[in-house]
Amino acid sequence: MINLQNTSETINHLLRTFRLLQKVGRKHPEVRKHEILFYQLLEKYFTRILNAREEGNFIATHTTFMPGEILYAMDIVPMQTEWTSWILALFTKRGTDFISEGRRLGLTNEVCSAQRGIAGAFSLGTLPRPDAVIWSNLICNNIAKNGELIMEINRCPGFFLDHPLGDSAAERNYLRGEIEDMIHFLEEQTGRKMDWDHLSDSVAGTMKQIEISRQICELRKAVPSPFHPQEFMEMLTVTYLFQGQPEATEYLEMLYEDLSLSVSEGRGAVSPERFRVMSIFLSPIYRAPFLEKFSQEHGMVSVAEPIFTQWEEGKLDPTRPLDSLVQKLYMLPERSLYSPVGERTLKKIVDCAKEYKADGAIAYADVACQHTCALIKLFKDVLNDIDVPLLILDCDLVDQTVTSEEDMREKLEQFLELLEDR
Amino acid sequence: MKPAPTADLTSQALDRFREVNGLFPETSHILEHKRQGKKVLGWLCTYVPEEIMHAAGVLPIRITGYSHEIKPDEGNAYLYVNNCSFSRSCLQLGLRGGYDFLDGIAGGSTCDCARRLMDLWHHYIATSFYHMITVPQKYSSKAHELYYEQITQFTQHLSEFTGIEITDASLSHSIQIYNESRELLRKLYDLRKANNPPITGSEIIEISNAGFRMPKETFNEYLKNLLTNIDTSRHAYSNSRARLMLTGSILGNHEFVESIEQLGGLVVTDDLCTSTRHWYDMIEVNQDESPLRAISRRYLNNFPCARMIPHDERLKRIRDLAQGFRVDGAISQIVHNCTPYTHELSFVTKMLEAQGIPVLSLDVEYGTASSGQIQTRVQAFLEMLEGKRR
Repeated sequence: MINLQNTSETINHLLRTFRLLQKVGRKHPEVRKHEILFYQLLEKYFTRILNAREEGNFIATHTTFMPGEILYAMDIVPMQTEWTSWILALFTKRGTDFISEGRRLGLTNEVCSAQRGIAGAFSLGTLPRPDAVIWSNLICNNIAKNGELIMEINRCPGFFLDHPLGDSAAERNYLRGEIEDMIHFLEEQTGRKMDWDHLSDSVAGTMKQIEISRQICELRKAVPSPFHPQEFMEMLTVTYLFQGQPEATEYLEMLYEDLSLSVSEGRGAVSPERFRVMSIFLSPIYRAPFLEKFSQEHGMVSVAEPIFTQWEEGKLDPTRPLDSLVQKLYMLPERSLYSPVGERTLKKIVDCAKEYKADGAIAYADVACQHTCALIKLFKDVLNDIDVPLLILDCDLVDQTVTSEEDMREKLEQFLELLEDR
Repeated sequence: MKPAPTADLTSQALDRFREVNGLFPETSHILEHKRQGKKVLGWLCTYVPEEIMHAAGVLPIRITGYSHEIKPDEGNAYLYVNNCSFSRSCLQLGLRGGYDFLDGIAGGSTCDCARRLMDLWHHYIATSFYHMITVPQKYSSKAHELYYEQITQFTQHLSEFTGIEITDASLSHSIQIYNESRELLRKLYDLRKANNPPITGSEIIEISNAGFRMPKETFNEYLKNLLTNIDTSRHAYSNSRARLMLTGSILGNHEFVESIEQLGGLVVTDDLCTSTRHWYDMIEVNQDESPLRAISRRYLNNFPCARMIPHDERLKRIRDLAQGFRVDGAISQIVHNCTPYTHELSFVTKMLEAQGIPVLSLDVEYGTASSGQIQTRVQAFLEMLEGKRR
């Protein structure tokens, strides 16, 4: 564990690491351009957080599926709770500290470790104190119920954005009202007015990013598939942290170009490509290097993550930014975990397996995540119907003590043997 | 001349509720309702307005799963072990045919486990009626509008399903019946404010459970009979050591409460959704207001579940109950993996302790009657409370 005393020391450590990774990347021609850009963007994101106080900027901490376009349009420094905490934990090896501190605050093991760790990170003062907390119930109880504790720890005001369950006109209208109320809240807190032109630009940026993401998904259908496991987490990170911003567009365009080149040259992410798998839910973030290595060793490639990379159909209209943000929240791939899971979601899983020619699927069963684990049986049954085996891999998204690398390796190898025997 | 209330008459009145629980679901009320060709619907969670189902001629039955702790084989296989044992218990009973008498189910988007239970129920247990209500998680005027729209949809869906038009008059009639029930329960619960209450916390849970499983009209008759015949000089607790409040998740097994009371803990109040929180607020229809509007307001504003944000209202009501019933301590029983209540526990504990009310926190499985470990902890808690009083 790295002994870092305070917020600025911790973030400065992080920034040095990001700079080093960029430097190393530039020296190695095999490192693709978008990977270097990824660390450059992380450096930019954390620098903004680090300097916010000194520059007199307002920091709003927000949960994953809040429309970040609003914060950028109001020149508020966004600090996304989940990704900021866990990137920080990953690079400083303080994850266990964060989780333990969350436990001390009264969050028992039933609360997912990601949310326990976030509360812990704030409580330990590792994250800078925000000026406001904005959070929502998208996509689970743990996210919804952690907001008031984060407000209390930071002694700051907050706004809870309530997502309705369904997709009716009344529910969409309610969500629009919630977003409007959140803007009013932020205007009151910051003393600034919403810059609607900026918001429209951000919405246009988001639409562009959705389009590129869809094109990237198309490229991943190629045999061999060009997309590396670590690129999944990187892509999520950039699009979560820079919603609608030119930075995310630049990253996605660069990723698309790199992948296009691979496809045109017939190069896959792994060589030879032996197993095409579909990933359901999130793999443990700390095992990304392992998964990359394992994939290379065994010729396994993840071709799709239906719940995280497959946007629902639809378009955004920058001239109607609020309606578009509502539309975006309904198009979010992850929303399929929140809405009633019925025939539509099941069809998406099945179609994805077929279209991407998946030999098998892996469900990363985060032992502390109720709403994803409760779907495994449903997904397994529909995948069985089309003869796609499903591996259920118990793990924890952020807590390294739950599953060892050896366990994961053993189960994955057994699964690949099963696929090979078919 | 009517006989004066005695302990015997009290027991007889209580036995009527016990009979319903003992026979469920083969009770004469359900069988008769079905025989008449009427519908029986299951409802899940206190944010589903029973009055609307009642107004559609439906017999609403609460889905409560097994009344005892089970080995949730199917529950685990379908919902996974990290979902609360309440949802797994309900699903397992459903998968095993225990709810085959239902014509449908209605639920609310109240928590992750409830949402997933409804998803799986819809997929694996075929019922001809299925309805999911979006329940806002806050109390703003916009939230009230959305909830009103949601229960309007529910009303229309039910009308189509039953072929019975749900009118303002029928809703008003249902409100009257359900409000009567609330009034009677309030009278009954208020008896527990006495130094030596004539009714136990365990008996209260038995009564509540029966109320979820029978027509409200009959339940009201049973309650009136009990209130008439209850012997107020009856000391339900022979060895009371401390007045307690129960707080936390859903609780179905009265034996859990009984086990606390056998150790000398007087369970005089609670904020459980299977007890106080279920009936607490009346439906008040304002002038020039539709009954549906009044139902909507009451259900969203009612004594809140831990899911609601902000939590201030829930904390205030818990504090008021604790003060009103003069409790010495509180026992928090949280069903394992019930996330909303787990998140709120530290806030509840802090608030009650600031009032001088210690809290014992128990992590339980739904349906548990108790265990040696629980008994030991309750025993130690009671000793601590006694020590504090000295």
